[in-house]
Amino acid sequence: MILPLFPIWLIDFAGSSLMIIFSFLCVHLAMRLFNQDRENAVWIYFLWITSALAVFAISRGVGHVVKDLLIMSGRKDIWTILQPYSGAFNTMTFVLVASITLFFERVWQINQTILRDKQALQDSHGQILYLNRHLEDLVMERTRELRKSENKYRRIFESSRDMILVTDQDGQILEINPAGTDLLGFSKEKVENNACSFKHFFLRQEIWDRIVEELLAKGYVSDLETELIGPEGNVIHVLLSGSVECLLPDNGDTFDVVQTTDHHDVKEFFHFLVKDITRRRAMEQQLLQADKLASIGQLAAGVAHEINNPLNIILGYTQFLIKHESEGTDRYEDLRTIEKHVRACKNIVADLLSFSRSTRTRKQQIDLHECIKEVINVISQQFELDQVRISTEFDSRVPTMILDGGKIKQVFMNLFMNAKHAIGKDGLITVKTLYDQDAGQVEVRVEDTGCGIEPQNLSRIFDPFFTTKETGKGTGLGLSVSYGIIKEHGGEIKVESEPGKGSVFIVSLPVNQ
Amino acid sequence: MLGFNILKLLSYLFLVLFLMQPDVAHATQAHSYPEGLYVHQLAHFFFILSMATFIYWLRERGLSRDKGWRLLQYCALCFILWNADAMLAHYLESQEGLFVTREQTTLDAVLIASGGHTAETLIYYFAKMDHLFCVPGIIFLYAALRCFLAKARGDRVK
Repeated sequence: MILPLFPIWLIDFAGSSLMIIFSFLCVHLAMRLFNQDRENAVWIYFLWITSALAVFAISRGVGHVVKDLLIMSGRKDIWTILQPYSGAFNTMTFVLVASITLFFERVWQINQTILRDKQALQDSHGQILYLNRHLEDLVMERTRELRKSENKYRRIFESSRDMILVTDQDGQILEINPAGTDLLGFSKEKVENNACSFKHFFLRQEIWDRIVEELLAKGYVSDLETELIGPEGNVIHVLLSGSVECLLPDNGDTFDVVQTTDHHDVKEFFHFLVKDITRRRAMEQQLLQADKLASIGQLAAGVAHEINNPLNIILGYTQFLIKHESEGTDRYEDLRTIEKHVRACKNIVADLLSFSRSTRTRKQQIDLHECIKEVINVISQQFELDQVRISTEFDSRVPTMILDGGKIKQVFMNLFMNAKHAIGKDGLITVKTLYDQDAGQVEVRVEDTGCGIEPQNLSRIFDPFFTTKETGKGTGLGLSVSYGIIKEHGGEIKVESEPGKGSVFIVSLPVNQ
Repeated sequence: MLGFNILKLLSYLFLVLFLMQPDVAHATQAHSYPEGLYVHQLAHFFFILSMATFIYWLRERGLSRDKGWRLLQYCALCFILWNADAMLAHYLESQEGLFVTREQTTLDAVLIASGGHTAETLIYYFAKMDHLFCVPGIIFLYAALRCFLAKARGDRVK
């Protein structure tokens, strides 16, 4: 078989030329890629490998073309000399290309690491740039948020109906809200001048010491009921809760009291929330009193009913015996004595029934002022003998009211008699009326300049059979009966008293009864 | 790490191939004629291995899904074929008595198969046209680089 070599030569020549041309075009492209991003390791790698390929293409292409030309021109001897050099160089060049190719994986990894780091740097740079550009806005926004938050808590602080205050460990008031200054009765300026100590407002100083001790030990005090001294020296019942804030003086960091063992030079501040429960306590007392009197009233009503029937029988039989007995005899006199004491017993029973509101009430339209005046007219003469004067301050707006006149008169009679007894000789009883249109009630105040009532007796004053009078001078039912009557009319009766200065009985009656 | 292991493997391979020739196992030796051919053949073999490794990496990293890297993969494949073809041509060329060349100095030069070696001569004839593999290989490389350049420009514009 004979095969022409011309096609092989032609392909050799054309192929070698194309290899050289394309290898240089590849170098050119790799160079452009490299120029696009000189830090990209893959582009550098392509530059290496295309350069090696170009050298290989020249070596191989030139070798082939020179060989063909030398053989064609009959100078095979020259080619015989050049052939080993050409072959060796050619071998070296494609070993170089192959070797560089094997570095691809490592170059790729390096490039990926560089890209990751670059991305991280760009992100950080972007964040820094953003912060730089928007720092002012960010600060303003944060300030706005802080101001908003501060306003919110300031509003709570300022508008709280309970006292909120901050003190140091010695009780020096550092911050106090308006409710606090109102409750304790001093000005904000006094606080600003550091002239107020919270501990001096405690009725009992040992309570403050106990609070401080507990705050430092536990970090809080909750719902402690105690008494403070009010602006006019009055006792204010309060419910107190507190907590501790510890502050490092050097950096202003705050932390919990439990952590303070690790820190020196810390300053403790106490935060207090104080609720005024004076009114609540008074109401509780009243409720307790009302509850107690209601129980006694039920008991009294039961006893009175049981005693009333035998007393009626005793009285009936006594009167029957009197009727058949001649006047002037010893037996007649004895029967009269029995009758008198049975009637006294019946009066007590009637009073008890009245206190327990078991007797019938006949209400009608009456003028309260007229009612009071009638009572005063009855007793004034007797009172004047002992230089006890009665003055009246009637509110002309008081309307006519639906009341049981007889029972109301009995109430005022009791109150005036008690006032007279408290005064003894030479004093003044003032009767004031006040119409509260909004509340729809009339208040009658009976004030005396008597000896007053001891605090320990105040809670028992309306109890049946409780009396401070000597034995035989009072049954102790007067105020109990009055209490029962006023309750029956839907009203209230209260007493305020200061020993040595006098007492005030306040009767409140509803108008639309 | 993988690159380092491959290099190590190839070094061991060369060492083993070297030790497998007991007649040249001397401390120093004269470089006789066939050694040059062996070195050249081994270089071709090394080229095949490096290109195969390159294709393996491209596929393992999933880069061949991208057009540029896929073209680069075709380039490596063409160079593998070219190396295999070249090795075959060199081998047949080195064999005595397969064919003879006549009129070598003219354009009418011919290749004449010796008796009973027609197939080998025919294979050698076509194997000599090795540019049919390496030229497409370098064209694929050129196309791949153009693709990378276009993408790099696009990224820069973004």
